[in-house]
Amino acid sequence: MAVMKFLCDTKRCIECNGCVTACKNENASALEWGIQRRRVVTINDGEPGEASISVACMHCTDAPCMAVCPADCFYQTDDGLILHNKDTCIGCGYCFYACPFGAPQFPKKTAFGSRGKMDKCTFCAGGPEEDFSEAERLKYGANRIAEGKLPMCAELCATKALLAGDAGVVSDIYRERMVLRNNPDTIWGYIPTVGSSN
Amino acid sequence: MLNKKLNKSLRSLFALLVLLMGVGFSTTALAADEQSSKQQAVTENPADLWRAVKAGEPGFTTYNSLESDVLINVVGNDGRLVRDTYVKPAIALSVVGVFGAFLLFYLVNGPSKLEKGFSGRMLERWDKSDIWLHWVMAVACLILMVTGIFLLLGRHFLAPYIGEGTWGAIIITCKFIHDWVGPVFIVSWLLSVIKWMPLQTFKLYDLKWFLVVGGYINFGPFKGKHPDSGFANAGEKMWFWALAIFGLFVSVSGLMLVFPNLDLPRVASMAALLIHAGSAVILIAFTIVHIWMATVLSEGGMECMVSGYCDENWAKQHHNLWYDEIKANGTLKYQDD
Repeated sequence: MAVMKFLCDTKRCIECNGCVTACKNENASALEWGIQRRRVVTINDGEPGEASISVACMHCTDAPCMAVCPADCFYQTDDGLILHNKDTCIGCGYCFYACPFGAPQFPKKTAFGSRGKMDKCTFCAGGPEEDFSEAERLKYGANRIAEGKLPMCAELCATKALLAGDAGVVSDIYRERMVLRNNPDTIWGYIPTVGSSN
Repeated sequence: MLNKKLNKSLRSLFALLVLLMGVGFSTTALAADEQSSKQQAVTENPADLWRAVKAGEPGFTTYNSLESDVLINVVGNDGRLVRDTYVKPAIALSVVGVFGAFLLFYLVNGPSKLEKGFSGRMLERWDKSDIWLHWVMAVACLILMVTGIFLLLGRHFLAPYIGEGTWGAIIITCKFIHDWVGPVFIVSWLLSVIKWMPLQTFKLYDLKWFLVVGGYINFGPFKGKHPDSGFANAGEKMWFWALAIFGLFVSVSGLMLVFPNLDLPRVASMAALLIHAGSAVILIAFTIVHIWMATVLSEGGMECMVSGYCDENWAKQHHNLWYDEIKANGTLKYQDD
C-alpha cells in the first residue's frame, strides 16, 4: 500500500492560491462559510528570501490530532491518510490545539463549547461514509482517491509546486528537482544542452 | 509655423523622457544589484528560514482565521505528549490508586470508632445554607469528575467495547453536561470558599495532627492518639485549601476552554487543557479521600452534612478545641433547643 503525502516546493510556489480555490471548489458541498482546508503562507513576504508554502493537513504518520481526540473520531486509512468521523466529533477543539499545522477548522465559535463539527483536508478521500454517497459528499466533500485520482489542489497547481501522492514517488520527483538545481549548468532545473526541464 | 512649434516641443519632451529613463534605469539597476546581493546572503543559509518556520514565525496569508499565518506550531504536540504520557495515567492513578489504597487501609485498619459510643445529644455544626452549598457543589463536582474522566479516558476504557454510534452519543452528552455543570461548580465553589475560609486557617496544633496521622490509625505507636483540632482538623484544612487553589485553576482553565470566541492562542488553550486535567488529578484524589472519611472511616461523620448536627461525643473526640470553645462562649446549640 502507498503512503500518501503532500509536498510543497517553495522554489516553485508563487502564492497564487490556486490550490485553495481548487480545494474549496472541489469540496464545496462540505465546506461551511468561512472555512478553508488549505492556505498559502508566505514567509518574508516582499523581502529577499521570500518563500511561499501551501499547507493543509499533512496526514502525519503519528498524528497528534488522532492521539488527543477525546471522542476518538480519527482513523488512519491503509493509504496513511488521517480522516475523521464528523458524527462522533464533539467540537472540543483539542485537535486544533495539538495540530502542528493548524489544519483542523471549526465552523462555529459559540460560548459553552459549540464549535460545530471539525473540518479538515481529507486528501480528497471523503470520510467513513460509503464512497460517493450523498452523506459523504455533504459531510466530507469529494472522494477523488476512490476514483483513482489525486487531490484537486495538487492536480490543479499551475507550477507543480504542490505535489501529492505516494510518498516514494513524490520524494523522487523532488529529489530529481534538487539534483538539477544544484547542478551549476542548469537554470532552475532546465538543462540547456539536453533541453529537458524539471 | 505651428508644425515647427509642435515639433520643437515634442523634441524637448522626448529629451526629457530619455533623461528620466536614464535616471530610472540606473536606480533600478542599483536596486537590482542590492537585491541580488541580499538574496545571495539569504540563499547562503536557507536552513535559517526553516528554523524560523519551525519556531513558529508567522508569515502572510489571505486566510483570516486564528493563527492561520503560522505554518508550524510545535508546542501543541508537546502538550499533547505531556497529556498522554503523564496526565492520563495520573488521573487513572488518582481514581483507582487512591480508592484502592483507602480500601486497603480500611480493611487493615478498620474505621475510627467513637470511643464512648453515641451520646444521642446532637449539637449544631453546619447551618442550612452550609448544607445546601455543600451538596450543590458535591453533586456538581461528582458530575464533572465522572464526565471529565469519560472525556479524558473514555476512549480507552469504554469506546473499544461499544458501537461507534453509542460511543458518539455518550461522549457528546458528557461534553454537553461537563460544559454546563461547570458554571454551577464555579458559583458554589466561590461561595463556599468565601463562606468557610475563616474556619480553615492553619494553627500550630495542626502540625501535631499530621505527626500522628490525625489519630485515625488503630495500631502501633499511633493507636488511641487524639490530636487537638478546632472546627476543622488539619486534614480537612488541607482539603479546603486544595479545593480553593485547584478549584480556581480548574475554573479559570475551564472557562478558557469553553469560550472559543475568546480566540486565545493555541499555546494558551493547550496550557489550559493541561492545567485543567492536572488540577482534576488533585481534586479527584482529595474527593475520594473525603468521601471515604465521611462515609465509612469516621463513625458519625456523615451525620454532620446530612442534618447539620453532630453527636456530642463525636465533637469531643474529633474536634475537642472547637467543642471546648463553643461550650465556653455559649454558642453551643443542641438540636432540640
